[in-house]
Amino acid sequence: MLEMIFLVPFIIGITAFFLPRTINRLLLVLTGMVHLFLSVAIWVNSPAAFFPAFFAVSPEGTLSLLVISLLFFLISVYTLTYIKETPIPKEKIFIGFLLLFLSTMSMATLSDHIMVLWIAIEATTLASAPLIYTHHTVSALEATWKYVLICSVGIAMALLGSILLSVSLDAGKVNAAISFSGLVAVAQSLDPRWLKAGFVFILVGYGTKMGLAPMHTWLPDAHSEAPSPVSALLSGVLLNCAYLGIFKTSKIMHAAGLSDFSGPILIIFGLISIIGAATFILRQTEYKRMLAYSSIENMGIIAVGTGIGGFAAYGAIICLIHHSLIKSSLFLTSGNILLGSGTRLIEKVNGLANRAPKNFVAFFGGFIAISGFPPFGLFLGKVIILITALKAGHFIAAGIFIFSLCVIFAGLANSVMRMSFHPADPSLPKNIPEHIGLLWPQYTLLAASIILCFWMPASLQETLVQAASTIGGGF
Amino acid sequence: MIHPVDTMLALALLSILFSFGSSRLPSLIKVVGFQGIVVCIVPLFLGHGLSPESVVFSIAALCIRGILIPVCIYVAIRKAAITREVKPIVGFHASIFFGLILMVGATMASHRFDVAADHISRLFLPTAISLLGAGMFLLMARRNAIAMVLGYMVLENGIYLVGCAFSQRVSHITEFGILLDILAGVMIMAVILRNMKTTFNDLDTDRLRTLKE
Amino acid sequence: MVESIALWVLALVSAPLFAGVILKVKAFFGGRKGSPVLIHYYTLQKLFRKGSVYSHSTTFMFRLGPVISLAVAATTLFFLPMAGHRPVISFNGDVIFVLYILGLSRFFTICAAMDTASPFEGMGAAREAYFPIICEASMFMILILFYRLTHLLSFDGYLSGENPLILWKTAGPILIFVVMSLFIILLTENSRVPVDDPATHLELTMIHEVMVLDHSGPDLGLIELGSVLKLFFYSAIIARLIFPFETGVLVLNLILFYTGILVVTTVIGVVESVMARYRMDRVPKFLLTAFSLAFFATIITLEFLR
Repeated sequence: MLEMIFLVPFIIGITAFFLPRTINRLLLVLTGMVHLFLSVAIWVNSPAAFFPAFFAVSPEGTLSLLVISLLFFLISVYTLTYIKETPIPKEKIFIGFLLLFLSTMSMATLSDHIMVLWIAIEATTLASAPLIYTHHTVSALEATWKYVLICSVGIAMALLGSILLSVSLDAGKVNAAISFSGLVAVAQSLDPRWLKAGFVFILVGYGTKMGLAPMHTWLPDAHSEAPSPVSALLSGVLLNCAYLGIFKTSKIMHAAGLSDFSGPILIIFGLISIIGAATFILRQTEYKRMLAYSSIENMGIIAVGTGIGGFAAYGAIICLIHHSLIKSSLFLTSGNILLGSGTRLIEKVNGLANRAPKNFVAFFGGFIAISGFPPFGLFLGKVIILITALKAGHFIAAGIFIFSLCVIFAGLANSVMRMSFHPADPSLPKNIPEHIGLLWPQYTLLAASIILCFWMPASLQETLVQAASTIGGGF
Repeated sequence: MIHPVDTMLALALLSILFSFGSSRLPSLIKVVGFQGIVVCIVPLFLGHGLSPESVVFSIAALCIRGILIPVCIYVAIRKAAITREVKPIVGFHASIFFGLILMVGATMASHRFDVAADHISRLFLPTAISLLGAGMFLLMARRNAIAMVLGYMVLENGIYLVGCAFSQRVSHITEFGILLDILAGVMIMAVILRNMKTTFNDLDTDRLRTLKE
Repeated sequence: MVESIALWVLALVSAPLFAGVILKVKAFFGGRKGSPVLIHYYTLQKLFRKGSVYSHSTTFMFRLGPVISLAVAATTLFFLPMAGHRPVISFNGDVIFVLYILGLSRFFTICAAMDTASPFEGMGAAREAYFPIICEASMFMILILFYRLTHLLSFDGYLSGENPLILWKTAGPILIFVVMSLFIILLTENSRVPVDDPATHLELTMIHEVMVLDHSGPDLGLIELGSVLKLFFYSAIIARLIFPFETGVLVLNLILFYTGILVVTTVIGVVESVMARYRMDRVPKFLLTAFSLAFFATIITLEFLR
């Protein structure tokens, strides 16, 4: 019963709209735990699906599912305290949609049918839109509007691409299920023209959702306006789900021997994203937006890794996992900072190191991690991608890559240093209250990133390699 | 020109011109609703295996695209304290000319493909491509938020036609899922529109320019 | 030939009737009894009995305008197949000829209006010159379409005998758009309501009426007669398209033809009653609708005939 994993949160999410809020809060954490348990069970057993035409276990899907579960559990614990600290209007709706969001994302990871994946990803947009509008401010309204419209239109392109993929079946005169596994199996006999067209549309479509420049305009707005737990979910998992669509399509392209076509496109989109993020991070005045641009950068890195293929694909998946862990921890901490200081502006937040030492450690650790320093896992992923790029002869791409990473590091460091060590205005309160329930999820996430860098369970490693090998990765 | 599909598609094409030319929101909503109905009727005439379930699906699709969604949007702008003008960025005359050029372009582009549905109607692909272009155009060339939502609907209608034209493989369950997604999407947009109306007393997207960089 | 000329004379004689029908329909919608259907005959009779007044500042141009406009209107009817019967004159390309002698008449009307040096008339003349440009484009779009369908360029080839039926068979429902487009052209060319209001009393909003303000007596009569003939001409084209049948019996054909014209004029009356006049800047959009309909029909039909 593979479908349990998204049916359970779905049903609970619907019921949450009608339950009182004390039960809701409990349900949220409980669902997080059950979901984590279920996804570990799926990873270990890989059970058969009830509707095998629509859903199936894939290595990349299981990986994403594990990340989603872990993050959601930690974020639900964080949310529990967060809700107590800052009142959220219409809490029922917030928790209900949070659970629906979890359900749709889980569905996206397990979909095998092309159209079902599309349905799931569009559903994630819809389930998360009310979450972004939680605080009912004018700017939140604007962010939600942009998010829904841009993503819906973008994803409509992906639907067109999905249809074109199925056309490649007809044009190639083969008969197979319109599922990713089915298409990979018959990839050689698919009509390459339609396949290419389908890939481009899917890349543009899901790329919009994933935050690849130049379709990224919704991302900084949505991430900065949403409440922090939601920003963490958006950045940590939602982008991964959209990436999954691109990854699975790349798999078909690779199996059809068209990676020469799909690779460069991915690399170009990835590099544009990295460069775009670099230019915007440099003159960023709000720290949540800064983190959002850093997400765009990381998605660009992942796209470049996928485009280069081979060993770099393995690096891309490592980046994907670690970015989820680190970025969500950063967003959670930024939520604490926002709660404590009451401002989103970088220049108004000063002297974090003295005023909120525990948050400072989490924030600074996250900054080190996201910039790609060891001992955090992102370092590993970036190095792998870079080395493979150089080996494969993508010298210009590698040059742009390194240069942009330096610029981004400079931009991030400038802001983070200012926030951490700039002498605080004496008028500001000496200490920002730090709640332990709002801290240990971040520490756990960062610790997970460090541990996964040095030691990975053999079975996890195996799943990773399996996933990467489908687009020519592995060793 | 005996096949009813041709008539349907011609009407869909005509609705593009009308949607470009209409300056008032209610009329624009009606045109897009009409277009949804026409587009949903087309598969019924395609003639390959008219099973009961496909008829039921087509009727459900018709109800959603042609009735439910327009009504939903209409409810969102009802009790209009808002201006009912579409607020074009590109003027109406230019829009209509663009529509005509779009159709010519779509016709020329469609000659480059060989499509399964071509033997049923030569208009199939030109209509689908024109609808895609028209949706994009409405999204870009109108400042009013509702007009943008309607542009999105036109785009979806076009994709639906592309699906009909090319491939008969897609199962009804997934198509229905897609339809539900679109419906939910438009409903959420309608809710946002309501909120926008109460916040700004207007639906001009120019007011949504505070978030930058 | 004799029959054709007889039909032409019949058209000349019956034309004022239909302008009266419009007034009757409008009166009906307005809840009034309205003027008799034959009102235009009485008006013409009255006008021709009067003498003309000419301003000192006008030249022969002013007197030429009405004569030419009537002459042209009467000439166009020579080329029109009445009731599906062959027209009096017909040659390949006569459609273009007819369109341009209509242009000639407009030219002289405009000249006559300018000749009075009245600012109002100049304004009306400018509008009169502007709007038909778009109409002409639509008209030519329709011509291209008809040419592609029949490979002929004459009214005879489009409208006489079985020909309209053949048009419908080859083009199909698309021809509805052509009819709509033609109807819009009719409304514009004859200064009917959404474009111009023939009953208005404010010079500022007039188009056609303002140009004939200074004409009086027989001159005005000539203009009136010319305009009812023009209305008859356009209505007849549409009538042939909406009743494309050929019964083979002349009397039946005539009844069908005149019923068609009656339908068209009634529709004009209804349109005039239910619609308000467009603001001047909205008129081009209305005309553009005609153009896009025609253009649209052409694209689609070309796609089929490929």
